[in-house]
Amino acid sequence: MRLLLVEDEPALREPLREGLAEAGYAVDVAANGRDALHLGLTEPFDAVVLDLGLPQLDGLSVLRRWREAGRMMPVLILTARDAWHEKVAGIDAGADDYLTKPFHHEELLARVRALIRRAQGLASPLLQHGALVLDTRSGRVSVNGQPVVLTALEFRLLAYLMHRPGTVVSRSELTEHLYAQDFDRDSNTIEVFVGRLRRKLPPDSIETVRGLGYRLAAPAAGP
Amino acid sequence: MNAPRWQSSLRLRLLLATLLALLLALGLAGVMLSRLFDEQVTRQFAQGLQAQLDQLTARLGVDADGRPQVDTRTLSDPRWTRPYSGLYWQIDRVGDRGGDAGPQRGVLRSRSLWDAVLTLPDDTLADGELHRHDLPGPDGAPLLALERSVALDAATGGPRWRLVVAADLAETQAARQRFDRLLALSLGALGLLLALAAWAQVAVGLAPLRTLQQGLAALQDGHRARLDGAVPAEVQPLVDGFNRVLDRNDEVVARARTQAGNLAHAIKTPLAALAQAAHAARRPGADAAALAAQVDEQVALAQRQVDWHLKRARAAAAQGRPGLRAPVAGAAEGLLRVMGRVHAERALDLRADGIAPGLQFAGEAQDLQEMLGNLVDNACKWARTAVQVSATAEGRVLRLVVDDDGPGIAPAQRDAALARGTRLDETVPGSGLGLAIVQELAQLYGGGLALEPSPRGGLRAVLTLPAA
Repeated sequence: MRLLLVEDEPALREPLREGLAEAGYAVDVAANGRDALHLGLTEPFDAVVLDLGLPQLDGLSVLRRWREAGRMMPVLILTARDAWHEKVAGIDAGADDYLTKPFHHEELLARVRALIRRAQGLASPLLQHGALVLDTRSGRVSVNGQPVVLTALEFRLLAYLMHRPGTVVSRSELTEHLYAQDFDRDSNTIEVFVGRLRRKLPPDSIETVRGLGYRLAAPAAGP
Repeated sequence: MNAPRWQSSLRLRLLLATLLALLLALGLAGVMLSRLFDEQVTRQFAQGLQAQLDQLTARLGVDADGRPQVDTRTLSDPRWTRPYSGLYWQIDRVGDRGGDAGPQRGVLRSRSLWDAVLTLPDDTLADGELHRHDLPGPDGAPLLALERSVALDAATGGPRWRLVVAADLAETQAARQRFDRLLALSLGALGLLLALAAWAQVAVGLAPLRTLQQGLAALQDGHRARLDGAVPAEVQPLVDGFNRVLDRNDEVVARARTQAGNLAHAIKTPLAALAQAAHAARRPGADAAALAAQVDEQVALAQRQVDWHLKRARAAAAQGRPGLRAPVAGAAEGLLRVMGRVHAERALDLRADGIAPGLQFAGEAQDLQEMLGNLVDNACKWARTAVQVSATAEGRVLRLVVDDDGPGIAPAQRDAALARGTRLDETVPGSGLGLAIVQELAQLYGGGLALEPSPRGGLRAVLTLPAA
């Protein structure tokens, strides 16, 4: 899952970025409205955390221009103080949720998870695919109740697939959504990670669709 | 852009207007007086001349040969005899009805005419009729002439005679000029006096403004706290209004001081707790996780205090400011849009459709949003399927009702729900300030918040506020 974090205050931005990365997201950051606008228009993000008070171009304008350009990724706005008029303006500009500063890190993670889930039309934080269960809240994966230990990138890969059950996901799409922009991308590494992930999951969990990409296989066994 | 100088000064405006009126009035008076005098002098001059003509007519006789005769000894004015004296008479023969002789000018003349003859335009006059002419005299000076024709022996059909008396106008002209000079001089003096009076009037009239200015300066220097002293009735409302602003300012400053003090005091407790935690953390074997938990707790506490006091400060500042109004329908709809988006996956039925568009809250729009927002937010957190916002106004009281169909609050717990910092359920996110803030804000506006069971099964929050 790839996130865009837009926050101009470095003291807030860095801990947020680290926290989101720890939670398993590939995180791009923008420190001003112009960079944010550009990134949001050109890169595919699964969700955006957007501060409203930004230099160069304010958050509301950035959001409006994204929506006008047809960019529909879920956006969580951070509003200063408990100002309802900011929330109303933000939602009217196309935001999907708001979080009032200051907030607890867990609260931010919960909101982001919920936003991504909602965008995929999934109601429960527990993603289930046959014997495979992924808890988006805790980041735990289990097969038939037995916990499976995954690395951060393996987890990201599996989570992306499980948010899109039955859909073929191309290697390049995976590359775009699993790595932040400044990461050295190599689509061959995706193959390597898919290989490792396959070994940790029940056999044939992930299908290769020749020439197109990967897909979660139809559930082999129900719990 | 600078206004012209006269526009920027009250004194100049008043003075200019007065001077303009003065000039106009004095100029008009001068012209009228001069004309009146002129008429008067000319009339008197003509009357004098007519008296002379009457005298001459009375002295006219005819000798045996039918020639006119005037007994000059009986004409008393010495100017008749002094050559070119400026007073002349002359008798012309106009012609007779018998027709033995034609007209002839200057048959008889005063001695003062010497060898000159007055040439009058020919005109026929009825008996006794008087004519006036302006004509040049023997020495070229302008004359006013009066003529009259008579027939001495009308019965025999003898000749008619034209009697002319003329006098130099120079004297009247000199008198007129003297009068005009005097008039100009006195009107000028009058104008000067009036201008001085106007200046004094403006100075006296504007003096209270100067006093006011000095009062303001004293106020600025801190010598005085209010504008006082005797001012004219016209300026008193200004002074009263200014004093009211000053009082309100004092009030606001005092309140701000109290609030700053309250906030500082409220922040002291978490700060002290943090210092304590830091001290404890320095001991060997201190638990970092425990420190983090303590810091978190105290930061949250401080944050709550800051939020709380900021809101109070804003509501207090809005107090007593007349003319504030915020439409209710727009605020409610905006808030429901937010809730609809945020709780999208629960597909709640959110309604605010019964609110009359004219309903207005007499206060800050932000405070209305704050109160209604917290209530709607709370209702949406607990609602199972629906939240309804309705509003009515009875006289000056606005009644906002937020209903939900959630679990509601047991009567015993309602007071606790309104207490500051209480969270009845820690599993739903929130600061535990929402309802308490709504109540406090509403009370600052002279209203209140009541929690009741809703007909929909959940909680009903009733907010009363001043209507605009």
